[in-house]
Amino acid sequence: MKLSFIRGCFPSNLSIFVNPSISTNLLRPVCFSSISSPPTSLKPQIPLFLRPPLHSASVSDLRKWHDWAKNFASSVGTTFLDSDNGPDLDLLCRELKWLMEDAIEDHCVFSQMGIENNQTNVRLRMGIEELYNLWKQRIEERRPFQYLVGCEHWRDLVLSVQDGVLIPRPETELIVDLVADVVSNNEGLREGLWADLGTGSGALAIGIGRILGSCGRVIATDLSPVALSVAAFNVQKYGLQDVIELRQGSWFKPLKDVEGKLAGIVSNPPYIPSDNISGLQAEVGRHEPRLALDGGLNGMDDLLHLCNGAALMLRPGGFFIFETNGKKQCKCLAKYIENDIRGSFHSLDMVSDFSGIQRFPTGFHQ
Amino acid sequence: MLNSKLRKSCRSSTISLQNPKISYLFSSFSHKSTETPSGSCQFSHSGPENPILLSGFCSNSLPRIKNPNGFHQNPLFSSLSPSKNPISASGSFSSRPNFSGFCPNSLPNVKNPNGFHQIPLFSTLSASGSCSSSLPSSKNRCQSHQSPVIWTQSHYFSTEAVVEPSTTDGLTVEGIMASNWTILDESESDWRSHAAAVAQSIHLIKKRLKWKKLVVRLDMLSMQLNKPDIWDDPVHAGKISREHGSLMGKMKEVRAFERELLEHIDMIKLAHEENDVELESESLKALHRMRKNSKEKELQAMLAGEQDPCSCYIEVIFIYCCSSWSWGTESMDWAAMVMQMYKLWAQQHRYKVTVVDEMPGEIAGIKRATIKVDGEYAFGYAKAEVGVHRLVRISPFDSNKRRHTSFAAVAVIPIMGDGSTRVEINESDLRIERFRAGGAGGQHVNTTESAVRIVHIPTGVTATCQNERSQHQNKASAMAVLQSRLDQLEMARQAQMNALHTQSLTDITWGSQIRSYVLHPYRMVKDLRTSYEVSDPDSVLEGDLDGFIMSYLSASLDKDVDDQ
Repeated sequence: MKLSFIRGCFPSNLSIFVNPSISTNLLRPVCFSSISSPPTSLKPQIPLFLRPPLHSASVSDLRKWHDWAKNFASSVGTTFLDSDNGPDLDLLCRELKWLMEDAIEDHCVFSQMGIENNQTNVRLRMGIEELYNLWKQRIEERRPFQYLVGCEHWRDLVLSVQDGVLIPRPETELIVDLVADVVSNNEGLREGLWADLGTGSGALAIGIGRILGSCGRVIATDLSPVALSVAAFNVQKYGLQDVIELRQGSWFKPLKDVEGKLAGIVSNPPYIPSDNISGLQAEVGRHEPRLALDGGLNGMDDLLHLCNGAALMLRPGGFFIFETNGKKQCKCLAKYIENDIRGSFHSLDMVSDFSGIQRFPTGFHQ
Repeated sequence: MLNSKLRKSCRSSTISLQNPKISYLFSSFSHKSTETPSGSCQFSHSGPENPILLSGFCSNSLPRIKNPNGFHQNPLFSSLSPSKNPISASGSFSSRPNFSGFCPNSLPNVKNPNGFHQIPLFSTLSASGSCSSSLPSSKNRCQSHQSPVIWTQSHYFSTEAVVEPSTTDGLTVEGIMASNWTILDESESDWRSHAAAVAQSIHLIKKRLKWKKLVVRLDMLSMQLNKPDIWDDPVHAGKISREHGSLMGKMKEVRAFERELLEHIDMIKLAHEENDVELESESLKALHRMRKNSKEKELQAMLAGEQDPCSCYIEVIFIYCCSSWSWGTESMDWAAMVMQMYKLWAQQHRYKVTVVDEMPGEIAGIKRATIKVDGEYAFGYAKAEVGVHRLVRISPFDSNKRRHTSFAAVAVIPIMGDGSTRVEINESDLRIERFRAGGAGGQHVNTTESAVRIVHIPTGVTATCQNERSQHQNKASAMAVLQSRLDQLEMARQAQMNALHTQSLTDITWGSQIRSYVLHPYRMVKDLRTSYEVSDPDSVLEGDLDGFIMSYLSASLDKDVDDQ
């Protein structure tokens, strides 16, 4: 039952869009009943809210779980906030509410949950024991909420995410807006070929794929097979198989055939200096893939590589935008582009994120 | 120009007085008070953090307003009707130059300096019968009252629907009403009974549509549309023409219903004369059908306001009125109960409910919450709930088990359809605040906190959304709330502007108490506006609000005034 559902959700024609070496892995049926198991397979996990409601529990049992979870969260108080700027009680309570929304088939039941000792059964997408388990992981291990429910709401998308894939950040939403601005009055870019390097969950590729014109295409690359399998799932979910092509490999390596043809390059590469990794918020440092975070000694390794590559890969007039660690890194990068690869780009700019941190260097190829 | 128009309308109405079939109708026209416009609850909002800052008014709850001199009726008319003397009538009119203050928008409390309501004058247009087809523009003022010429110039926007239909022997709906035919049970096959029932419905529908004001407004709009330069401002012209179309549609529908009734009566009379049994029974059946349909039309007319069909936001804010913290908690708990009541009410009506914003209280309840209620006529019904709701009970938060009184304020904001004119929001006028942990951001931070607060700097209006799980969506939701708030503010502003020379609307504040929920020492929920009461507070708090809503809506529309 579970497997047939999975197959239904994840059609076999996926192989067309993914590098053949991965797709053979992808099609191998693997059981993944436990969400907490490490990502040993390349079968992407189905986000909680999309799973079939095969479980059930009484309203009063759910209530019990909810009260337990809330108390558990209360015991945290501001400990996480004080230690590494982690979630406080309010945030955890909101996450608890969302976990219930995702886990309960008909979450209108919420409103009736005040009624005591209600023995009505509610259909769940996950057993109640597993709900206990998950919340324990959230509090004790600081496992990110998005990994518990297997998805992240990003822009107007609901993207599948899982261990091994970077959870897309709200700052990154802005890149899509900026690309939308750029293509809105430039048909050449709107109908051109774009690349999202280190796509992770596929967030940027999907966001951009949805704003390009009918001829616009995106190639999304990632080194991580897990990330690619998740990206493939998300691409499929939004019906963008004909727009987005997934390729495995490091940065520009899988793009040899489109050298000098790209209309735009976007990337949210790892940019955190290696030294900072150990001091990161527990949800990030302990759980998210280092591959997607660690940008080398000063965090610039991959960004510099991307800038050099962009000069080669972009067609004349092509646009680039990268996410950086902020002000200092952004300026460094801009300086590097101006001085060291002078003449390749024009209209360089540094766009700030919503907190006012200069975060996104942008520019056009000569 | 307005004066001349008034004179003219007077002339045409006085002409109609010479028609013996119609003149008696005047005796039934007493214009006791102007009603509030079909416009609905409006309020302005600034700073959701501060519950007190809300201000505004609910126009429908406006009390009946008397003239300073105590006259509800236009004395001119009462003297005019028996005399049937056109000269004296027009003479009186021309001697009253004060009517230039005529307010086109039929706003509440429209008074002119001499204390007479103006609207009843115009209402003669609809009342005075077929010859009063309101003249579309002041160009046609040269007719003499001996020869009532109906001026219908096809290229003019006119209010031809104003013409009151009648049967071949001159019977009108008002005539039927005045005949006092007994209304029997629906199952009885008596045509007079059916006709009287339908006439009664039409009467009620007209009252609910504020027929007289409708006629005046339509006339105004026609006049504006007939101006040669109207399309110089296409936005304004579009607005006028849309409203004209919509009012015309309503009017035509009622007129058609009226005509249908009268035609069937004609048919029955004819059939009777010619002993055509088949025709008679057919027409009788048709009347019966009309009678059945009329109930639905009555309900439709109850929600005839421009924004009534819209979805809406319902906002509940606790009112902090005591320094003791426990009382604050009690109020916040009450606010949460009120919100829950609306959620359940909306669910019962199969409306889609989404929580847009919720600020929980420290110990219990909510400080403030906004829900979006999606569905047809959500605003039309929910607008009846605007105001302050009062709770009396033994507070569970008081260890001494004392009785507490707490208050929660309810605001309802219509979500205007795409077709209507909306306030244009300038991106540069906005300050968008995203709640975000400080520090480096980006990959350093993983937080599910994505609340967005938008401040519209010029007005200070704010909107917050934290219910969505992405910042992008929170911003979109908050923008939608902001848009609706600004739209509502603008509507209120326009209404106020139109009412400048009349009584200030701020007299009736948003803060007025509308309903009392008593759980102790006795149990009762009572609406202070309608005196409608229910002895089972639990059912009310579980969303059983329709009794209150309907009684309020009909009370505010079906006041004991003749406002056809």
